[in-house]
Amino acid sequence: MPEPIIQIKDVKKRFGRVEALRGVSLDVDEGEVVVVVGPSGSGKSTLLRCINRLEEYEEGTIIVDGMTLDNTGNINAVRREVGIVFQSFNLFAHLTAMQNLMLAQCIVRKRSREEAERVALALLAKVGIPEKAKAHPAQLSGGQQQRVAIARALAMNPKIMLFDEPTSALDPEMIKEVLDVMTSLAREGMTMLVVSHEMGFARAAANRVIFMDEGQIIEEATPDDFFRNPREERTRLFLSKILHL
Amino acid sequence: MEEHSKNGPGRELKFVVGGEVNIRQDPWWWLVAIVAAITVLLVMLWPVPFRDLVLFARDGVLVTVLVTVSSYFLMLIVGLFGGLGRLSKNKLIFGISSLYVEIVRGIPLLVQLIGWYFASPLIIQRVGLWLNLQPLIEYRANPIITATVAITVCYGAYMSEIVRSGVQSVPKGQMEAARSLGMSHFQAMRHVVLPQAFRVILPPMGNEFIALLKDSSLVSVVAVADLTRRGREFMAAHFNPIETWLMVALLYLILTLVAARVVSYIEKRSKYDRY
Repeated sequence: MPEPIIQIKDVKKRFGRVEALRGVSLDVDEGEVVVVVGPSGSGKSTLLRCINRLEEYEEGTIIVDGMTLDNTGNINAVRREVGIVFQSFNLFAHLTAMQNLMLAQCIVRKRSREEAERVALALLAKVGIPEKAKAHPAQLSGGQQQRVAIARALAMNPKIMLFDEPTSALDPEMIKEVLDVMTSLAREGMTMLVVSHEMGFARAAANRVIFMDEGQIIEEATPDDFFRNPREERTRLFLSKILHL
Repeated sequence: MEEHSKNGPGRELKFVVGGEVNIRQDPWWWLVAIVAAITVLLVMLWPVPFRDLVLFARDGVLVTVLVTVSSYFLMLIVGLFGGLGRLSKNKLIFGISSLYVEIVRGIPLLVQLIGWYFASPLIIQRVGLWLNLQPLIEYRANPIITATVAITVCYGAYMSEIVRSGVQSVPKGQMEAARSLGMSHFQAMRHVVLPQAFRVILPPMGNEFIALLKDSSLVSVVAVADLTRRGREFMAAHFNPIETWLMVALLYLILTLVAARVVSYIEKRSKYDRY
């Protein structure tokens, strides 16, 4: 059994007086898809953002692809291997979809223009919007923007993809197109850590579901077990709330 | 915004709009034309004193334009660094740039100009005496350079605040997205944040140019032979304040009105669809 690609050990993080993470440990194997659910403020997004160090943490260790995240200068090396997709897309507003995909390839991966263009076109086709290559973000629907954002992260050939509530800012009719892209990515064997309440996606694509509350992991199980017979009282309470929506 | 964007990719759109700006789309060009026509008419109908004044003051117009343009570009550079300094996490850099902005903004430009021109040479000479350096001891202030420095320092402080607010207007997620793709802070600033901030600060940048053009008249008090000073010299020689200041005002008006049109042209060119 090879080493887990993400190793999180007893990570603690506070925002002022609020303890966002109170000792979280989690291993994710290569090719695994892990869905994290939990009430708002439970620390799930914070945990995700710690993995590529958009947030710093006070205690514990995180090892990504053999690289320990600490205060030394390897942050950019780690970030090259870890793609993240945000709730609010965060596409570069002044660039076209194509340029959004090419920018980091050229200046971080040092690819030639031609190569970056080839990769970008292939990925736009993969997420189903090759015809939008020359559109600016403001000209795209939310679902299209999020698909471009996924393609932009994939253009860096990451080993791990993080999704921070990728469908929460979308109109209902656009959620499926984004989830379809994520599901096919999961089928291809991408290692994914997904903060999302999309139960359909969790059932279809996840290997494990993790429930977080108040900065701690309360329960983890296969999707089937998690939704059918949750062990913890808090999990049951949470599920009863979201499944009634 | 949505309707507008259907016309096609924003970048092309931007140049189409830019290419078609002319007197028909921007009726304010008529005002420029009218003011220019009045000026020409005055010069032709009454060569004395108007033609004499224009000939007498034309090097002053050049000095005004030179001081304005050179201090404008210098103050943009100062403002860029000052603004980024005001956003720095490094406490020393933040402290120095904040101190600079707060102090300079609190002193009238006229006082700063006079200070740079009359006080700074004395200080430099004294430092020269102390270090025993001949070039410093013999230092004499060059009026145009000193005035340019003074305006640059003063306007750089205002520009710093414009740059700071422009950078802050770019959503935080843009920087995060760039960093998460492995870009360094510098790369993210250069390729993602500043290009977007630039479009926000373009209108105030244009205003600064016009304000600077008018404030450049203050340099006439420190021996710079700009348009205003040449006007004063002409009036003193011919005792005709009404005609002199009418013509000087018209000449300034032509400069500022043309500048305003150019600013609005650049703004229209760089408009594009945003969130």
